[in-house]
Amino acid sequence: SRVGLRKELADSLSSCRVLVVGAGGIGCELLKNLVLTGFKNIEVIDLDTIDVSNLNRQFLFQKKHVGKSKAQVAKESVLRFCPSANITAYHDSIMNPDYNVEFFRNFQLVMNALDNRAARNHVNRMCLAADIPLIESGTAGYLGQVTVIKKGQTECYECQPKPTQKTFPGCTIRNTPSEPIHCIVWAKYLFNQLFGEEDADQEVSPDTADPEVAWNPADAAARATASNKDGDIKRVSTKEWARSTGYDPVKLFNKLFKDDIMYLLTMDKLWKKRKAPLPLDWTEIHQLESSQEEAFGTGLKDQQVLGVQGYAQLFHRSVETLRSQLIEKGEGAELVWDKDDPPAMDFVTAAANLRMNVFSMNMKSRFDVKSMAGNIIPAIATTNAVIAGLIVLEALKTLNSDFDQCRTIFLNKQPNPRKKLLVPCALDPPNPNCYVCASKPEVTVKLNVHKTIVQALQDKILKEKFGMVAPDVQIEDGKGTILISSEEGETEANNNKFLSDFGIRNGSRLQADDFLQDYTLLVNLIHSEELEKDVEFEVVGDAPDKAPAPSVPEEGKNIANGNKDSAQPSTSSKAAEDDDVLIVDSDEEPSSSTMEASPESSNRKRKHHDADTDATASKRKRLDQQPADDDEDIIALD
Amino acid sequence: LALALSRPRGEDNIISEEEAAQYDRQIRLWGLDAQKRLRGSRVLLVGLRGLGAEVAKNLILAGVKGLTLLDHEQVTEESRRAQFLIPVDADGQNQAQASLERAQLLNPMVEVKVDTDAVESKLDDFFFRFDAVCLTRCSKDLMVRVDQLCASRNIKVFCGDVYGYHGYMFSDLGQEHHYVEEKPKVVKGSNEANDGPEAKKRKVDPNETTMVKKTISFCSLKEALEVDWTNEKAKSSLKRTPADYFLLQVLLKFRTDKGRDPQPDSFAEDSQLLLQIRDDVLETMGLSSELLPNTFVSYCFSEMAPVCAVVGGVLGQEIVKALSQRDAPHRNFFFFDGLKGSGVVDYFGSK
Repeated sequence: SRVGLRKELADSLSSCRVLVVGAGGIGCELLKNLVLTGFKNIEVIDLDTIDVSNLNRQFLFQKKHVGKSKAQVAKESVLRFCPSANITAYHDSIMNPDYNVEFFRNFQLVMNALDNRAARNHVNRMCLAADIPLIESGTAGYLGQVTVIKKGQTECYECQPKPTQKTFPGCTIRNTPSEPIHCIVWAKYLFNQLFGEEDADQEVSPDTADPEVAWNPADAAARATASNKDGDIKRVSTKEWARSTGYDPVKLFNKLFKDDIMYLLTMDKLWKKRKAPLPLDWTEIHQLESSQEEAFGTGLKDQQVLGVQGYAQLFHRSVETLRSQLIEKGEGAELVWDKDDPPAMDFVTAAANLRMNVFSMNMKSRFDVKSMAGNIIPAIATTNAVIAGLIVLEALKTLNSDFDQCRTIFLNKQPNPRKKLLVPCALDPPNPNCYVCASKPEVTVKLNVHKTIVQALQDKILKEKFGMVAPDVQIEDGKGTILISSEEGETEANNNKFLSDFGIRNGSRLQADDFLQDYTLLVNLIHSEELEKDVEFEVVGDAPDKAPAPSVPEEGKNIANGNKDSAQPSTSSKAAEDDDVLIVDSDEEPSSSTMEASPESSNRKRKHHDADTDATASKRKRLDQQPADDDEDIIALD
Repeated sequence: LALALSRPRGEDNIISEEEAAQYDRQIRLWGLDAQKRLRGSRVLLVGLRGLGAEVAKNLILAGVKGLTLLDHEQVTEESRRAQFLIPVDADGQNQAQASLERAQLLNPMVEVKVDTDAVESKLDDFFFRFDAVCLTRCSKDLMVRVDQLCASRNIKVFCGDVYGYHGYMFSDLGQEHHYVEEKPKVVKGSNEANDGPEAKKRKVDPNETTMVKKTISFCSLKEALEVDWTNEKAKSSLKRTPADYFLLQVLLKFRTDKGRDPQPDSFAEDSQLLLQIRDDVLETMGLSSELLPNTFVSYCFSEMAPVCAVVGGVLGQEIVKALSQRDAPHRNFFFFDGLKGSGVVDYFGSK
């Protein structure tokens, strides 16, 4: 198809160098399209290896390649049908400091085919620093999106705040779950508390500090009695207690699903307006008539929903298996939860379902629990094929520097009322207040200087929230006091000290740099003692973490993320999960709300939902549909 | 719970562990029942150039029972560079035959077959052994004939082509195509005394869904291509009609007249002819040449790979939808303009 292009364009294709970040669902399709279109010099990077669940769409891989490097195998497969292509494959993370601004400057174009926000943020900054155009994209289920980022001309990836991962308050998880997801999150926390790395943010025991519970003297006595049964909940960690019983599954069962529940029942204020939980007893369960285990017939075994006895048995078996795994690994061993590790998945399935049963919720199959616990986003070949085709068409425009021809394009599941299945929208100019691409970016953060430690500033604020990879921080105190150094070990002594220990107070300013990203951020601090429970800091000016208000139509801008930062509340932080995803709405399954630039909105982001015919409309705000225009779907063009 | 619209065609109703593992991410999207229907379906794919290869890949990955690759043409350097299934040393071989090995490797669980005959030479009953037929690079007459033959037998018919930056797909799923859509379950509101206006609002349980059965009808390709533009109603809808529809008519006529598609090697001669055909076709329809400005000739030569990917993706998914009888099909044309990045679904034919 090179013959279909003008000669100059065809020539520049042969000589230009492009970088593809990711060799998964979008990446495989993209590599194929690039090569068939005539691109000759392609570098591809991916840290992942091939899994059997990739094979329904990552067509450059076969079953025999499972376990091998995606980037490497993708390169080999492409060379089979185009031996003259010059492809370099890196089995590595793009966030590795080897890939510095100089590295990025080698390319005329970078195309992301990623599945997580951290990497997207990072590549965004590298491309800004190197001043190279970046094509961003994402898919989830039937939906997809492509856009072009060019420094100084368009919004960067971080110009518009993206909804952060949804998290649930501790008391919901520990005391008053009302949905299956709460129970699943609890079960994953439980796994970590028992078998993995204990985390203070992942408590599973009843929360006495729940603000909803008003204590009076009569309650205290009941509390004391309940908690004395099998170890004082407050003083002994879950792991210590489990160890002391030798990880006895029956004792564990009774503590978690009977004793702790009875304890919760003493907090009777919680149950005035809610259905009270019903404790389970191991012996009683096994005395009941055993409910028929249906032959799984023509369905998937995993899609069966068992009864309470079934999940009790599963709990018992998985605890024993995990216990053995721990013993095998030796002293001080910790397991890491992985949805593809059967006993780990069994454990969460069982524990979550038992808890659901306690709280009178319909139980869920292993199949469904795995989706939620593993943040799995369904994925198919065709969506990726369409998006990857659109990426290359945008790429051709960028090579000509035709940025005014470039578009954000949304792929819907169904055509909108204006018959569009693919909706192109004009690109927005950069946000002058963007905390990344503005000339001297600044943010204001509210926190408690007496309670925030330096480590939290580094990890939760600068890295997680502001996307830095290796921050250096100095205090603007006239002395340039260094708070954090990216050099390993240099400022380790500071990690557990409070910010106030360094004289930081209300109004203090910090200069945070990420040298690799060539990024400097000025952080203004506001001291507050009135943050909500479970909230460590707030960025002033951010939209709240809940579903966006109707007047903040950010959904359309969310190419982002990936199942690794999925729409579902985060139940995992580290384990590698799935690949290529797009999240459109922040709190439900990918739905096809679509955004179209209206003719009237020029610099303001007033966008309109074009509601599709698909379901799940209840949680989404249905904005008024636009009257059918003729053909002005793009601002001031056509 | 899925309503059984027709018994899944699968010979056995069990999904193996291997299939469950491989198809996991798509079963989570369209459900087990849809996957079983796919697994019982046989598809005929005509034409193995850029678009055909994309459709083949998409259907094989989806897990149909069988896919027959039909193409009578031989591999040339040009055709080999247009798609990713043909090995580099296959010049001179039959195009379908050369594509077979890599196609089969995409998914060993699908029966991939080859037929090297010209589709024009096939007798009627050849088509009856398939559940769906997808025609690319075919003449208008052939497409109309096959469509007429198949639609009445509930064989789903699809057509598609890519011309430079432009591409289209057409579908005829018959007079009565049944499918299901998954909708959230409506639950009764709570019994609070002072619900007020809340009581009227239907609550939806995000965790439970229900299947809603639907039926839709399609017209024939012949009807779709022979719309009468002289009546008032048609004329008033012209403003909202994608120019791509007329472009398609022009390109199909070119193909009929020249026996091939516009080629870059004969750009000058072919552009002339295209403009001429445009004038003739639009005049016959009683329409103005302005509907299709001259610039179109610059952008409809040879198949562009990214356009094949987009059209092949949409077309592939429509075939999957029709065979699995799940989700509303696009009715009845999809037009893609690779210059604008716009993709439109529109209906042409009797209402």
